[in-house]
Amino acid sequence: MPAKSQEPRAKRNVFKIFFDWFLRRPESGIILILVVFVTIVTIVNPTFLSWSNVVNILRASGFTMISVVGMSMILITGGLDLSIGSTFALGAVLCGLAITDWGLPVPVGILIGLLLGAACGTVNGLLIVKTGIPPMIVTLGMQYALRGTVSVLTKGVPIYPLPEGFTDLEPTKFFDIPIIVLIAVVIAIIGHFALSSTYFGRSVYALGGNQEAARISGINIQRTKMLVYILMGVLVAFAGMMTSSRLGSAEPSTGTGLEMKVICGAIIGGISISGGTGTMLGAALGAVFMEALTNSLTVMRIDVFWQNVVFGVVMILSVLLDQYKRSLIQRQSIKNTELKRTAVEAKGSAGGQ
Amino acid sequence: MSGAILSVKNIIKRFSGTVALKGVDMELYPNEILALVGENGAGKSTLMKILSGIYPYGSYEGELLLGGKVCKFQSPADSEDAGIAMIYQELNLELDLSVGENILLGRYPRSALGFIDWKKVHREARTALDLLGVDIDTKVTVRNLNPSMQQLVSIARALYRNPSILILDEPTSVLTEKEANSLMEILRGLKEKGISCIYISHKLDEIFALCDRTVVFRDGEKISEYTKAAGYDSSKVIEDMIGRHLDAMYPVRKANIGEEVLRVEHFRVAHPFAYGKSIIEDASFSLHKGEILGLSGLVGAGRSELVSAIFGALPRQAGKLYLEGKEVTINSPIEAIQHGLGFLSEDRKKNGFIWTMSIRENMTLVCLRDLVKGLFVDKREENRRAQEYFEKLSVKAPSLDTQITNLSGGNQQKVILAKWLMSNIKILMLDEPTRGIDVGTKSEIYKLMQELTDMGISIILISSEMPELLAMCDRLVVLGKGVVQCEMLRGEANEVNLMRAASGT
Repeated sequence: MPAKSQEPRAKRNVFKIFFDWFLRRPESGIILILVVFVTIVTIVNPTFLSWSNVVNILRASGFTMISVVGMSMILITGGLDLSIGSTFALGAVLCGLAITDWGLPVPVGILIGLLLGAACGTVNGLLIVKTGIPPMIVTLGMQYALRGTVSVLTKGVPIYPLPEGFTDLEPTKFFDIPIIVLIAVVIAIIGHFALSSTYFGRSVYALGGNQEAARISGINIQRTKMLVYILMGVLVAFAGMMTSSRLGSAEPSTGTGLEMKVICGAIIGGISISGGTGTMLGAALGAVFMEALTNSLTVMRIDVFWQNVVFGVVMILSVLLDQYKRSLIQRQSIKNTELKRTAVEAKGSAGGQ
Repeated sequence: MSGAILSVKNIIKRFSGTVALKGVDMELYPNEILALVGENGAGKSTLMKILSGIYPYGSYEGELLLGGKVCKFQSPADSEDAGIAMIYQELNLELDLSVGENILLGRYPRSALGFIDWKKVHREARTALDLLGVDIDTKVTVRNLNPSMQQLVSIARALYRNPSILILDEPTSVLTEKEANSLMEILRGLKEKGISCIYISHKLDEIFALCDRTVVFRDGEKISEYTKAAGYDSSKVIEDMIGRHLDAMYPVRKANIGEEVLRVEHFRVAHPFAYGKSIIEDASFSLHKGEILGLSGLVGAGRSELVSAIFGALPRQAGKLYLEGKEVTINSPIEAIQHGLGFLSEDRKKNGFIWTMSIRENMTLVCLRDLVKGLFVDKREENRRAQEYFEKLSVKAPSLDTQITNLSGGNQQKVILAKWLMSNIKILMLDEPTRGIDVGTKSEIYKLMQELTDMGISIILISSEMPELLAMCDRLVVLGKGVVQCEMLRGEANEVNLMRAASGT
């Protein structure tokens, strides 16, 4: 009898422990959202989960994910980068010019694109660190200045055609999986370890949690901030070049509105907008969600003009979800802490007697 | 025992999983100042939150009687309307509004046309401030006032609501001794005018001087009650608070002082609020190995700014720094840490710990650099070190993974101390290390300070609590008017001459 009556209780506990653990994971929200979302869209149109469509989603996710890796780090430090769409375009355009008009070899062109990205990140970082202007203003200004530079360089005309050595890059496949997906996954994994297991990563979290406390604890705030913006610039410029490789042309308007998609993906993936929390895994899944969402509109035959409406709504909803989850965890952990604390104290006083 | 204006009858307050108040009875009589004491988590704040309507009627069991009538507060506004005014430990003023606007906040008088009658606002604010006998311009922005002035403004705000009961939660934690004394005079005056007070504080000397009756709380229960008429016995009160016999609060200070480790010469530090002024004009002093040096002075004397500048957290305008006889330049906390300096700042929440991090991550923040192996942080070693100090300082928490925000103030302070102890420091600067901390933890921190100096670490201690400075410090440097007023050795110093030196009289 006693064994029987104890069993369901134990089972419930296992479930509860798992649920608690799952809820506590920063990725829980995005995993739930993805599962529910994919299920619904698949019910409406089963082709959503067909192999060719999944590859489409993953390929698109690759580009977004590369940028989300950089953006996540910036958001965790409590910063923001709105200039990425323009850096994306400028990287593509500059690289395109280098390998066409200037007649430079493709690897040099790519190197120029990456250096340009680093330069844009450096300017962002320097302005934020040295002048104290809020990141939102600095990077909004940069968004316009860089987009303007693209127009000046191209006179509004796409750079076309790009040499074959360059346009061959993106379409490369590896066992049926586009190379961009693999690159993005590798970058995300490196990003994950950089955040979770290095001194740099801990500094990023500390900075977003409480900048003053981090400073007094001897963390180099300026260097950490510079690094995340530079990294962002390099990553997004790379994504830009890969996009132009795919299209076979460097478009001056490419990457417009990219920041919205990337920030939205990071937030829905559990990166806190107020900084200090979130994981790379969650953010990477957030990038996949954003592309699945874009793709689903086509699959469900919803007018493409609705896309921005959906993005806007999703952005607000994801922040709302983030807040709700946070309050739930806070309540849970206070409860747990109090329970355990009373247990610890009871044990302590019993031991003392 | 009749005629209580406020009585609390058998109040039980449960939170999911714990009972914060286990059937508390308490009365408050007219013209009385009642003290509530107890360690953090004893249930004082919970009871006050019930009185002030933050926990609405129905969320607790038991009754609250005001002048014999049962009160059913649904919100803080109800409680305020019933004549209970609360002054919180954390000031809740609107920093960018003027003094007058803050005092009348939410109750602005209207002119016939429906506009706010600003003249009347400032006139009424003036009246409220006059009641306290303080002379602050009602048009000044609150941000520009120092913390003690702000405290007075929030008291004036409470008084403007014409309360019959005033509740003060740790009102003197930001005040200096002198300002605290004048606050107590004000409270005595209010008592004469028929306002009863509930006074919550960790500072027993204040309570014994001020309060007519003292109620001790522990673990959600009222343990005992003492009256001023019968005489207070501090060791009895403390024993009731912590529930065990207290071996002396302060350890017996055994100093083994060595050669000079730090010398500060002609430091000048900018004023944090007033542009172009210096809060420290010219300060020089030295610190020896194994010594506890106290920095004394009034709030606003620049003690915190001086140590912040030594640590490189604030820029210095002039001055030289010598470590073990060699001149060094420290322009940032990073350099200070490299030279073996540690700095426990005044405001835990503002720059002491990182909210989003666990106990472990907060502990290893400073020493993490040394734990990097190759590219990555050696997490096993990190865990081992954190666990060692977790046990050494007996931090009361379920595990190292607990979020630091879930800890009590005293335990948070232990974690921040551990952060510095885990890195190889030679000099530790402690800015108000025991502010807002319960008696038990306080005593542990004092013992720890003794142990640290035994190990040859030198300590600079800033404190507004005179007994603490007098008991712990081997030497005292008194700051005032931007310069070192005088230096006193242990034994020479007492409360009177310290106060004299600090106020420059």
